[in-house]
Order: sequence, then C-alpha cells, then structure tokens
Amino acid sequence: MSRFAGRIGSAFVIVALLSSGISRAQNTGYVFSNKPVAFSHLSNVAGPTAIGIDDPALRGLLRDLGAVLTWQPGERYVLVTTAQPQVISFSVGDRRFDVGPISAQAAFAPFLQGTEVYLPLDDLLRALYLAPVRDGGVTVLQPQLASIDVQGSGSQALLVARAGIPLHPRVVTDGPDRVVYEFDGVGSALSTRAFDVGGIHNVAIATSGSARDPKTLVTVTLEAGARHDGAHSNNGDFEVGFGGNGGAPPLVAVATVAPQPSASASETVPAPVASASGSPAASVASVSTVSVQATSDGSTITIAVGGSASYEWHRLREPDNRFWIDIKGATLAGPPLDETEADPIVSMRVRQIDPQTVRVALSFVGANSLAILPSVTGLQINVGHDEVADAPREGSGSVGAVVSANEPQALITPVPPDMYGQNPPGGASDWKFGPRGYVPTNPRLIVIDPGHGGGDPGTMRNGVAEKDLALDMAMRLRTILIARGWQVQMTRSDDHDVPATSQSAAEAEKMGYTTSAAGDLQARDDIANASGARLFISVHVNGYINSGPSGTTTYYSKPSDAAFARIMDRTLAQSLGTKDDGTVKSHLYVTLHANMPAILVETAFLSNPDDYAKLTSSDWRQKVAQSMADGIDAYTQSNPVSTASTGGER
Amino acid sequence: MRRTAILVAIFVVMAAAAWYVFAPRGAVVSENLAIYYAKADGTTLGTWSVSTRPRASGESDAEHLHNLALYAAVQAVTGPPSDVAAVRFPPTTHVLNVSVAGSTATVDLSTEVTQSAGGSFEENGEFKGLVYTLTGISPINAVQILVAGRKVEALPGGHLELDEPLRRSDW
Repeated sequence: MSRFAGRIGSAFVIVALLSSGISRAQNTGYVFSNKPVAFSHLSNVAGPTAIGIDDPALRGLLRDLGAVLTWQPGERYVLVTTAQPQVISFSVGDRRFDVGPISAQAAFAPFLQGTEVYLPLDDLLRALYLAPVRDGGVTVLQPQLASIDVQGSGSQALLVARAGIPLHPRVVTDGPDRVVYEFDGVGSALSTRAFDVGGIHNVAIATSGSARDPKTLVTVTLEAGARHDGAHSNNGDFEVGFGGNGGAPPLVAVATVAPQPSASASETVPAPVASASGSPAASVASVSTVSVQATSDGSTITIAVGGSASYEWHRLREPDNRFWIDIKGATLAGPPLDETEADPIVSMRVRQIDPQTVRVALSFVGANSLAILPSVTGLQINVGHDEVADAPREGSGSVGAVVSANEPQALITPVPPDMYGQNPPGGASDWKFGPRGYVPTNPRLIVIDPGHGGGDPGTMRNGVAEKDLALDMAMRLRTILIARGWQVQMTRSDDHDVPATSQSAAEAEKMGYTTSAAGDLQARDDIANASGARLFISVHVNGYINSGPSGTTTYYSKPSDAAFARIMDRTLAQSLGTKDDGTVKSHLYVTLHANMPAILVETAFLSNPDDYAKLTSSDWRQKVAQSMADGIDAYTQSNPVSTASTGGER
Repeated sequence: MRRTAILVAIFVVMAAAAWYVFAPRGAVVSENLAIYYAKADGTTLGTWSVSTRPRASGESDAEHLHNLALYAAVQAVTGPPSDVAAVRFPPTTHVLNVSVAGSTATVDLSTEVTQSAGGSFEENGEFKGLVYTLTGISPINAVQILVAGRKVEALPGGHLELDEPLRRSDW
C-alpha cells in the first residue's frame, strides 16, 4: 500500500500562480495584511516591474513573512529563505528561478543597476505565495494556500496544509461524513481532489470573501466511521490526522513520510510515478538520464530516477575492476548507452537487462574508492582516484520517495586521506588532542562530568532542567564507584558553572573567541587532564524541538574512545529500557579534548514523554548510575593497566 | 584557381559537418549539488538534489566556487522540504556570509543558531549535514563555522567544538 496517497501540491499552485492568466502586479499602490506597502525601488527598464532588493518596503514585507534575503555584492545568487522553510533562488543574468525543487522562467533576468540587484517583482511575489489581486486602485498581495498534502497508508492519513503565512484555521463543520476547515486571510487556486486513504474520500476547496479579506474553505469528505484528531500547527503548517476502517488517526511523528517530488514542470526534479491510487512498490520507476562529470577527486555518475526503486550493487575483486548497479522496478527512458570515460572510469554501459531492471555497469582503472549516495531524485556514484583495499563488494538500498532506513553510503564511503587530518587510519601518528598511547598517572581514578550547570540549564522540559538530572545521576555514579574501590574526581558537585582556568581563558581571549560556553567545557577537560585519570565520562540528557526522538546515545570523538563507548552502550542497552541509539562519533568538545578515553552519555530525551517519565524517576536514575558503573568495570577489566592504587574520593 | 578554392572550401565545410555529426560526445555534465541532512535518527544522512546555474561567462574560478558554496550552505541550513523528517537548525537560522579560502569554507551563521533545544542530538545532526554538503564541493574539505561574524569555541550550552574547521572525518 502506498504510503503517499496523493497531493494537491505546491508544484501545482506555483504553476498556477506563474501562469500568465493572473494579473500582473502594477506600479501602483500595494497592500499586504491591510497595510500599505510603499515600494520605492521600482524599475521598468526590463519591461515588467522590477524591484531592488534594498527596497525598505520589500525588506519589511519579507520580515512580515518570516523570510530572509541573502546577497552580497559580487555574488551571483539572490537567495530568499522563507519561513516554510524553502529557498527561492534568483541568479543575476539568468531568467531561471527556483522555488524549492521547482524551476521556472521569470519574466526577465535579474539585473544589476548600480550596486543593487533588481528582481522581477511578480515572480518574486508569487514565489512567496502572494497573489497580486486588483482591488480598486491598489494591488492586494493576497496570501495563497500553497498546498494540501494527504499522506498516508491504508487506514491512516495525515492532511497537511501550507501557505506563505502561518495557518490558523477553524473547524466550521464537524459531522460524521465531512469536516470543514475555514482558513481566514488566504485565497487559493487549488482544486478538488479525490483520495481513498485514511477514511478520506475527497478534499474540496472553495474560496470566498474579498480581495483584502479572503477565505478558503477546505471540505474533507469522509467514509462512514472515519475519525480525525485535533488540528495542530507545525512551523506554521496545519496538520490533522485521519483514521478510516476503525483505525485511529496517526500520530504525526509516525506519519511523517519521505519527500515526494512534485509532478510539475520542474526542469531538474524527475516526476514520481506513484499516484493517488498506485503503490510505489508496484509502480515502475524511470531512469531518465545517466551522466558523468569529472571532478578533482575522480568522477561522479548521476543517475536520475523518477519514482521509487530499489537497487543492488556489486563490484568484483582486482584485477577485474568492474562494478554494476541494478535499479529494480525501473525502465530506461532513453536508448542504451556505451561511453568511454576518463580516468578513473574506463567505460560505462547502461542497459535495460530485463523488463524490470536497469543496469549501469562501470569498469575502473583499479580498485578505486566508491561512494553511492541515494536520494529522492536518484543516485550519485562518486568514484575516486584513490584506491582502497578490502572495499565492500556489494550493497543495496532504495531511491525515491520511499527510502530505506539503512542506506549503505556510510559503510562504503572511504574517507580521503587528506580528510583524516592528524588522525590517519591505523593510528600511525599522534592524536591531535592527546598523547599517543595515553598512560594514566592515576589508573584508579575516574572523572565524572555532570553536564551543564549554573547559568547553563541545558535542555529543559516542564521546569525540569538537564543540569539537575545530570548532577543527580553523576552523584549516584560517584557513590557506586567509590563503593567499588574507584577514586572519583567530579568536574562539579553542585549547581555551578565550571570556571575556566586562567590559562584557557587567556588563550581564548587572545584568539578573540567567545568563551561563555567553551571556557566551561575546556575547564572540565583541564580538570580531567590534570588528574591523569583513567577514564572520563560526561553525563547528559538529550532534548529536541519535538517529542519524536528518544533513547540513549553514547557519543565519542577519538579512536581511543571507541571501545569504551561500545562497552558502555552495550551495558546501558541491557538495563535501561530505553531505545538503544547506539554509539555516535562526533566532534564534541569535552570528549575531544580529554586526553584519556572519554565518552558523553545522553541518557534519554527529556523532550520525549516516555523518556521523560524515566528521567524523572529516581529509581531509573539509580539504574543509570548502576549501569554506567558496570560499563566502567567491564571496560577496565577488558582493557587492564598494570598500576593499581587504593580507592576513595580525591 | 578559383575552382580549386571553392572545392577546398566545400571540403572544409563537409569535414566540419562530418566531425560535428560523428565526433564522440562527452557525457552530459551534471549541475546537481547534493544537499545533506540528518534524518530523524540524528545520525543517518539523507540527501536531496538542487540544480545550480551553468557557469556564467566571465565568472572566475574563485567566484564560481564562492557562488556554489553560498548556494549549498543556504540550502543546507534551510533544510529539506518541511514534510521530510530531518534534524533542522533552529527556526530562522540563516546564512550571513560564506567565503572559501583554499580548501576551507567559512560559513557565518545568524545568532538564531544558538537557540537550539539543548541536546547533542540536534547539534550533531545540524552541523553534520552542513559539513557534508559543503565538503561535497571540490576542493572544499573543511568548514569553519562563525556565529554573527565571530569564531566561537562552542555554542552557548552547546557540545560541539567549533573553533576549528569541521571535516567529514569528525563523524
């Protein structure tokens, strides 16, 4: 069953808005949100009205819309980031402009007049989902309903409406067979569309009101017994879940789906094959182009795939340096290709090898490095000049709107030698921030770092602060470790900042850095490094802007941290009852600058209701401390050092 | 003599036409840039593709690289379409400036980047996507982050070290 049931999409409305049938903005008065907009940097030298990007009224309008314009003298692109968020890109001297993934032709190419770039006003306004509507002697910049998406699977569906302004609809009818939402202040060029998912039969759209006070009514016709939940806002979007056939409306977090390229006149994004009634799995994707581009590192093969498809790839061992990738459930939109290519690729062949499979076969000059990057629009294959030994020989994944969760690029992308910095593979030279072969001067000492503290609460939820939870778990861990004969050094043992040492503060000052955060972080490492401790563990609580993410993650930075992180993750996963988010290598300050093996444990998400309940339970926090102590014991037992000393707190 | 000249001219035109028709064509040059984002698990990367403009006549190598880097950085900070489950920079975070020196791109972000929810999860995903995006543009292999024009060692209440250029190998 298709996860994507249908879309009355942004592509549609942009095409509609860009059509010549809609009246052009005139060089008269403008009104937005019942306020006059006095454009002053207008020009007609290109014919249709152009507006200078320094126009104060334009800047004010963008501010009102939550949009930001980026341009510096000498730059080619004029980029507008909208609140949706979406990028509108114009380019000086080029009529083409892009609104998100959709390309269109402007009335004229943006041009420089003096030091100011002038943009086609009508095209800019419409890209901002503002329709110029004549009202007497003025032009009303009327916000438009940009899209209504219905995403879902079988008995569940999520309806998402978007516009150029935040949407705050109200329910005007809520019956067993239909629910009607009224969107005040927005017009619409969208039309009625039939669906058969999540209990939704169709979505009808009607407009009323005046140019200055438009209304759009969205009527969702339901099957018998269908239900819906309360509407809510997500970044200004309007979202509501529906459930049919006795199914409950979906939770938004689980209903979110991968992007669906819009079926539009886009020049760059292949249109999907999946339709309102079709299933991506059953649909036939289309391989429209296969191109090769030389890069300084090698070559890049770009395979444009319209629709969703799975793929498998294989490569042979030296000296037979052949590689092929089969795109399944796909047809080749053009003739077979046979190309002779430049180093590192010898040749490329593209064939429809059976009715369901397109094969792209390559031969390389050697055992060249290879990275396969799937996306919603196809595949990119990067072939490097550098050669790798024991590279993976096969893999699989998917492209298009339904993307597999285990894309293989991380497994097969060799890091170019110059990206290793001072940490080449194999550990042949010193680690950047610590001595090679770290030897603790206090092998029975563990440094515990409760995250944040003092004026830095960390993440917050319902008045509960990360700094307090971290300190609580850290103090419990201290007690357990001391009871087991370890020495313990705390970076803080109450609610205060960890002050920067005079040396690190002076260094930061000399470099002109902002030190409010990192002075504190470096101070924690200074304490650890001065102590000569065996291990460093930083205790944290995670947070995010929505309740979706959950679980326990063990972060590390240096190669010497990895084994400690793995053992700690395994130990925590066995006992905490949270989702195991595994180990994650990252560029975290405290683990990077600690000389000894160091990890940062994000115990759970304060922003997730289930995790929140655990974090606010003292029993669970005790379990965390117990498990961390077990992890430390397990690591030190499997990685012993010869020196021993007595226990106790320093 | 004149006849000979005409025959030579015809031969040259026919040879040129034959070369135009039969000469091997190079593959189509792609102008797509891969823009990376961290998926909802905070670590796995996804990409979407944006199409850049063909290089303008008179645009120097340095200008072209600068324009590409700016375009890519703005796209990466804006993030994928809103219906994609992705780790995103705090709302209204935007790119103030981008410059490229050698193989290092410097991205100046607005102060909204400091308004995060406060976990390693968010910071890690945000910057991983941005760094992977820019280092996909040759010859960039490192990204220095600035906040409102200043180098910072870390964000307030943050976790990631930002005072040195970030590389793909940091993840």
